[in-house]
Amino acid sequence: MNSFRKEFTTLSITLIAVGIALNLALGTVVLRLGLPLYLDSIGTVLVGALVGPWAGAATGFLSNLVWTLTGLYPQAFAWAGVAAIIGALAGAFGRSGWLNSIGKAALAGLITGVVSAVLSAPIATYVFGGVVGAGTDALVAAFRAAGLDALMSNVAQGTFSDPLDKLVTFVVVWSLLLALPAREKARFGNLPATSKERAPRGATRRPAGKTTQKTTKKTARRR
Amino acid sequence: MPSMRGGTIYVEGRSGLHKLHPLTKLALSGLCFACAAALPGLPWLLGMFVLVLMPLAIWGRITRAFLKACLLVVGPFLLSLAIIQGFFHGGDTVLFQLGRFTYTLEGLMAGLLFAARLLVALGGTLLLMQSTDQAQLMQALTERGFPARIAYVVLTAIQIFPSFQDRAQVIMDAQQARGLELQTGALNRARLLLPMVGPLILGSVMDVSERAMALEARGFSSPAQKTSLHSLADSASQRTLRWLLVAAALGLLAWRVGSALA
Repeated sequence: MNSFRKEFTTLSITLIAVGIALNLALGTVVLRLGLPLYLDSIGTVLVGALVGPWAGAATGFLSNLVWTLTGLYPQAFAWAGVAAIIGALAGAFGRSGWLNSIGKAALAGLITGVVSAVLSAPIATYVFGGVVGAGTDALVAAFRAAGLDALMSNVAQGTFSDPLDKLVTFVVVWSLLLALPAREKARFGNLPATSKERAPRGATRRPAGKTTQKTTKKTARRR
Repeated sequence: MPSMRGGTIYVEGRSGLHKLHPLTKLALSGLCFACAAALPGLPWLLGMFVLVLMPLAIWGRITRAFLKACLLVVGPFLLSLAIIQGFFHGGDTVLFQLGRFTYTLEGLMAGLLFAARLLVALGGTLLLMQSTDQAQLMQALTERGFPARIAYVVLTAIQIFPSFQDRAQVIMDAQQARGLELQTGALNRARLLLPMVGPLILGSVMDVSERAMALEARGFSSPAQKTSLHSLADSASQRTLRWLLVAAALGLLAWRVGSALA
């Protein structure tokens, strides 16, 4: 409960709102680039990584609520739970330092993608009759034709497109975190400090070494 | 996605539907969900759409916008469902054959039934969103105890995302003016992603602390009771209507569960 409270300061609530707006803006703009990706969860993963699992979950859940509320994609709310889990996973991966290297970030993306595919499939199958009303339905038809049953076709379709999408999302977030000033990252305090960012001994109150991660969290600006 | 630009599908107006209390319309869309889940057959679902949702849209003078939104949202589902359920649902009445696959009447009807359920559920949501200002809906919810912080997050996101879209467009134009090619293969376009989204995201994250300070200066985290500049019109008859709608929705669901168990 304490960590839950800590993740919802005025600062992080503002970031969550920005994260949701990023999801919506990028989700629509990326469509115009004509890529076979959705990239509608960059904001969710970014907030999760910066602030923590609870904030990431809130960003994912509320993003889908906003998709519904704007009426641009009213069916999105059915997947709000999946989006929340994606955000929570991003928070956990960020906290454990997986987003500090591109290889681990890519792996984290793949894992998240598989989780999201497996969780989304029953929703598509039982709520929407096995389709999502998009081009990927052609894949579902192909898997059905290959003899898979309704649920497995949706799982297969998801594992075909979701891991790639989340991999690109996580790698984009990794590169953003690289470009973001250390000051901005420390403000939110979920990410462990990388060796490059660690201040030299004596320069700040932060001692170097094993305790760095813990004390960074304490000294980061939080109420 | 139906509309690629702009914030919401809300259509401004001063009809009776627009003037209803947001929670009344929310209760109505709740009833639509219950109907979509519980009504037994195609005629009932289409009846619900034609005899309840359509007249309401006509009353709200948003008929064209409503039908267009329904078509854009449910149309792709209808197409996919008609194909996938038609070929793979199974059944005895073969309509035609394509190679080793048979298209059955039972499958087509199953697909249409699913599409009709989606039409009623999503139609109710679309009607609510087209006739209700999100700010008023959130205000109505916060007055009933919905967390104000969540309402803030939702409304802010809705308000700033069109400006983010514009900023993304400006960045894209600027990069193109500097020789970035958009008309290339998929892999090249994927590489363009970062120069495009990078500046947008980094800029907006750096703006966050300023936004937060502005909020704090206005007593955002103050525990005191906040008042609102606008008041929402409500009436006793609407309050009764809301309870009736909620009771009808719950009754329908209970009946469906009961008949499924029996």
